[in-house]
Amino acid sequence: MTAILALLRKQTKDSLCNFPALMVMLIYPAVAFVMITALGSEEGMSGMFVTMFATMHASFAPLVTASNILSEEKEKGTLRTLMMSGVSRLSYLVSEMLFVVSVSMLTGSAFLAMDAFTRDHAAAFAAAMLCGTVLSALAGLCVGMTSRNVSAANGMAVPIGLVTALLPMLARFNESLDRAARYLYSGQVSRVLESGELSGEFAAVMAVYAVLLTGLTIFLFITESR
Amino acid sequence: MTIVKLDGVTRSFGEKQVLGGVSLQIEKGEIFGLLGPSGAGKTTLVNILTGQMPCGGKAEIFGMDCARIGREVYRRTGAVLDNCGLYERLTCMDNMKLFARLHHTPVSAIAETLRAVGLDGSEGLRVRALSKGMRQRLKLACAILHAPELLFLDEPTSGLDPATAEEIHALMRRLRESGATLFLTTHNMEEAYRLCDRIALLHEGRIVEEGQPAAICRRHGSDAELHIVTSDGKELSLPNLPENAGTVAALMREKKLRAIHSAEPDLGTVFLRLTGKELTQ
Repeated sequence: MTAILALLRKQTKDSLCNFPALMVMLIYPAVAFVMITALGSEEGMSGMFVTMFATMHASFAPLVTASNILSEEKEKGTLRTLMMSGVSRLSYLVSEMLFVVSVSMLTGSAFLAMDAFTRDHAAAFAAAMLCGTVLSALAGLCVGMTSRNVSAANGMAVPIGLVTALLPMLARFNESLDRAARYLYSGQVSRVLESGELSGEFAAVMAVYAVLLTGLTIFLFITESR
Repeated sequence: MTIVKLDGVTRSFGEKQVLGGVSLQIEKGEIFGLLGPSGAGKTTLVNILTGQMPCGGKAEIFGMDCARIGREVYRRTGAVLDNCGLYERLTCMDNMKLFARLHHTPVSAIAETLRAVGLDGSEGLRVRALSKGMRQRLKLACAILHAPELLFLDEPTSGLDPATAEEIHALMRRLRESGATLFLTTHNMEEAYRLCDRIALLHEGRIVEEGQPAAICRRHGSDAELHIVTSDGKELSLPNLPENAGTVAALMREKKLRAIHSAEPDLGTVFLRLTGKELTQ
């Protein structure tokens, strides 16, 4: 527990000095705010922008941030320094997961202030954002564990992030893409953010991705430890 | 008391065998130097000893299998390794605070440790603004903050200016005096000769010689040649033969003989004789 708290403090300080990392966490709420301020007076526009950018935020920001943090630690040798200071790999991954999910949810909470939500809709919105953020962060950890450096991690995380972030948006304009997006966790997040209802389909898709990504994380955790 | 024990340690990367049965022991309170050229297997051995890499054979520190060392052992060890980094965006103090928290060391110990490595006054500087020598000192500070019983130093003075290297040597001697055991890898023979109580010469994953540096040089020295230094600073090498006795006697009569000794090789020459390769290759 001491190690996790120490790592969280370190990561918070380090991220505050890391402008690109801050940008990734703030860009979607900021762009959504600008778009709503500029065009939101038209009917339904604010809701559409909030859904679109909140989905992008939940899909892209945790994925890229988690993979960047882990791969940078590997590239700079700080991960090795931590391991040799008695930090277990599990403590490290837990602290990184906590940090990424907390910061992403904190910055993502700005979306709730950008539209008039009912209490139920806000609760469903927060739950869907949390599910999407956790799954994206898990995917980011997997990318980080398999990458030797930041550029390799970005080379993998950015395309994955773009697909998960943009497909739900493009699905609004194309029926085939919409059918495909139903099976993507970010597609389901987008549907809940828009409707405010947690469906059985949402729960099933989230459960499948949770099992797959947790299994992959555990597999990589074991193989990378060897 | 034996702190480090290696018995027939092997390690391969694919087809290439990097360590081929290394056996050695390191006792408490000594500075042990592992010398070898680049690619000899020094860093691999340190990685094994610090629990970062599995191996064949038996590798133990504090009587515990290196493959199974955990937090308790890491609290008793410190390491300054080339591939271990610091948080560049954070200040020296932030880096030190992190390691103080991880090792359950009081934050009040930081100032004293920074002073010991000559970094007092640099607490607020970001690591990316430090010179290579200062970074190396900060790595050392982070490694010794919790007063480890065993310290691993992988090429600690590589690329540093002589003055900074000498300061780090002085600090290492002070650590030994305080009872710590130091495991040093280097290809700098002069550093090893001056600093280490015992050394081992590693070549292609095997130890080819082990012992006190001066004893190794003597062992491989030759009394077939005499080395003479005259009072005006000239150096002569003479075959150790009866017909040269007159020359030596004449120098003594004229009070021109400052020093006379057998021609002992340095560690680099010993390594060259044993392996046919330069130590610095």
